[in-house]
Amino acid sequence: MFSWCCALLLATGFMFIVGFLVVKGYRGINLELIFADTRLLDAFFLKRQVFGGLFPAIIGTLSLILLSIGFALPLGLASGIFLAEYASPRLKSFFSLMVDILAGIPSIVVGLFGFSITIFLHHFFSSQIFPCLLISALSLAFLILPYIIKTTQVAIESLPLQVRLTAPSLGATKLENIIFVLLPSALSDIVSGIVLAIGRCAEDTAVIMLTGVVATAGVPRSVFSNFEALPFYIYYIASEYSNSSELMKGYGAALILLLISAGLFALAHWIKLKIEQKTRFGY
Amino acid sequence: MLFKENIARIVFLSASILSAVATLLILGFMILLSLPVLETGMIWGILTDPWSPDHGRFGILAMIVGTVYISSFSLLISFPISLGCSFFIQIIHPDSPGRFLKLLVQLMTAIPTVIYGFVGVFLLVPIVRKVFSYGSGMSILSASLMLAILISPTMILFFSQSFARVPKRFLDATEALGATSFQKLFYVILPNAWTGVFTGLVLAFGRAMGDTLIALMISGNSVVLPSSILDSARTLTAHIAMIIAADFDSIEFKTIFICGGVLYIMTSCGILLARFSVKKRVR
Amino acid sequence: MNKRFILIKCLMAMTVIIFSYGICSASGLDAFKGEKGVLRISGGTAHIPVIMEVAKRIMTANPDIQITIAGGGSGAGIKQVGEGLVNIGNSGRLPTEIEVEKYNLVIYKWAIDGVAPVVNPKNSIQKLSSKELQDIYSGKITNWKTLGGEDRSINIYTRDKSSGTREVFWKKALGKGDIFGRANFVASNGAMKSAVTNDPYALGYVSVGYIDNSVAPVSLDNVAPSLDTVKTGEYKVARGLFSNTKGTATGLAKKFIDYLLSSEGQKLAAEKGFIPVN
Repeated sequence: MFSWCCALLLATGFMFIVGFLVVKGYRGINLELIFADTRLLDAFFLKRQVFGGLFPAIIGTLSLILLSIGFALPLGLASGIFLAEYASPRLKSFFSLMVDILAGIPSIVVGLFGFSITIFLHHFFSSQIFPCLLISALSLAFLILPYIIKTTQVAIESLPLQVRLTAPSLGATKLENIIFVLLPSALSDIVSGIVLAIGRCAEDTAVIMLTGVVATAGVPRSVFSNFEALPFYIYYIASEYSNSSELMKGYGAALILLLISAGLFALAHWIKLKIEQKTRFGY
Repeated sequence: MLFKENIARIVFLSASILSAVATLLILGFMILLSLPVLETGMIWGILTDPWSPDHGRFGILAMIVGTVYISSFSLLISFPISLGCSFFIQIIHPDSPGRFLKLLVQLMTAIPTVIYGFVGVFLLVPIVRKVFSYGSGMSILSASLMLAILISPTMILFFSQSFARVPKRFLDATEALGATSFQKLFYVILPNAWTGVFTGLVLAFGRAMGDTLIALMISGNSVVLPSSILDSARTLTAHIAMIIAADFDSIEFKTIFICGGVLYIMTSCGILLARFSVKKRVR
Repeated sequence: MNKRFILIKCLMAMTVIIFSYGICSASGLDAFKGEKGVLRISGGTAHIPVIMEVAKRIMTANPDIQITIAGGGSGAGIKQVGEGLVNIGNSGRLPTEIEVEKYNLVIYKWAIDGVAPVVNPKNSIQKLSSKELQDIYSGKITNWKTLGGEDRSINIYTRDKSSGTREVFWKKALGKGDIFGRANFVASNGAMKSAVTNDPYALGYVSVGYIDNSVAPVSLDNVAPSLDTVKTGEYKVARGLFSNTKGTATGLAKKFIDYLLSSEGQKLAAEKGFIPVN
């Protein structure tokens, strides 16, 4: 009985949050929300900047995701493989402690780190270095790195022994085994981990707040410029909206971000289901 | 061939070292940048003074207390709910209602925190203000309620994992003895799964402490020691976000690195604690 | 013949008018033709509505220019421009002599503004004496009932120390009196306005340019804060809006400030609720 209450309470809380956004926000979702009064093609080919629409924020978030995944993926994969296949037990316990701590650091502290590095470089290296898209992406990469390391490591380690040992027993080297057997077999697990990491990139606000996101910037022209991002836009509107139409855009943006997160989650879930099917019938 | 193997090994190793270095570098930077303040011997003052820049006092005690209050209170709210939910998922209804709830909980982990903050500002804060007829509604209570929703998925997933490890025959035996589900939970499951429950609690506490946006948006950010849960309060994370947006090189600004360091150390201790308890269980 | 001559004359006059009108409407923005690059602006939040509109006009006229705008408050603006992190740092207070010297700042004043205490429009109390205001902000008066209103606590809102709006309000309205720590803190003029709009028992202070029907200005010693009273000097809590550059403004920053000071820019400042300087 108590459990039923808890379950209902949680579900109701969730429904309230989503329902509130949907009821208030669904009317706000249309092309004008994203492109304002700019023509679609003009916006896409950067002929005109979009003002008052979400287009620059969406592009900013997308480029942020691409860049930080680009940084974190190779590093995370390599460390994950090392931890799963190469490291001695002692080394492994040290490195995985580090990874756990990194995963536990509040995102604002990571942002503070990114910010202070920027200022450091600005002072001692080149006065052309500012908080910018690149810095934000690098800091975010630190934030998602532990997720990628962990998923890679766990995905490889949880492969059945027969998969892990067949190729080496046939004379394959360790590297060949990793590249041609282990990674492909663990791929779907790793991919669903990456999808979740993407979700983390899309939602994080604290890091980018400190490292280069601004209220108005237009579509970023290079990785060295400031940018807009969806979650920051939502935060900005929540505290600064000046009239009901701006507030409406905030609801719309929140709903869009919610849809993106839910979509990414569904994708990860779908990939996971796929593997479960595969393991049931394969091997 | 061997050469290639070695190269690969070195690449993987250096990736891991890089990730570990990043973890330590963040702590190093926090300490390095708070040195100028630490050297002046003001550290005691900073940890215990009130925050009053007009009078040259830059104590962060109120923020530390705010952080602890808000996270503990959110834990207090979400712990029983999470316990109930995981009991529901694992023991009472492992069939479809349980699976549905689990899916919902997993989906909730993907919801951006800024959305919780946004809904908090426009839905929860007015309700709290109306219901309690006191203050602005931006309060420890509002922030804790929202945070509770944010952290319960972490707890639920962890709890149900550890519940699942409780041997089935124990449960069957208690069932045969005619135990109520309440007795089951308190006399069989909790004693057997307490390390998992403890780890989940610690991790959830870390998550609550590390969150910036919810506290920044709905806790009111006042800088005195709160005296009731309806008072407004400021967390360390929100303090960093507020000061960094506004300042550059002053004592205020330098103290935020101490805040960062404190947060880093608090979360790392949590991680160490959690790992320690897990190790003990393994033995 | 005569008639035709008159017609031609008329036509000529008309073309001249149209032509000169064309020059007029484009003159300010013409300066940006052929320019490209990034202009970074941050600081004072009272400035943002005007700055945003100017940026929009410039970027529409010339898509090769990118202008990024961040808030942060006057303190942030002054320090960031001083450190070379932005090209223009806005402030709602005059930079101090130390700041000017340290960073070699050049100050451009382009509008006059007031800082007004505001309450929720539903609040019946829309008049306060300076003494009452100071007592509220220092925590001596904590209930609207004391002032003849509802029996509810007064929810004070304030800004962080780097805010120029706070600085001016603190100096000229509070007489450098204490600000109670229990106040809620918000990060900008916009945030102050929306906080007061949402909270029926709030008391805050914003730039006069931000006042519309969603918040009610509070008369101070029987002077209602408005553009007119600020202009005549009756309402004392007034200040300039400044844009600062490190050294004399050059390039895009110079053109941006020139535009702010041009007749078009000044007209815009007036439209957004500030008092133009030219």
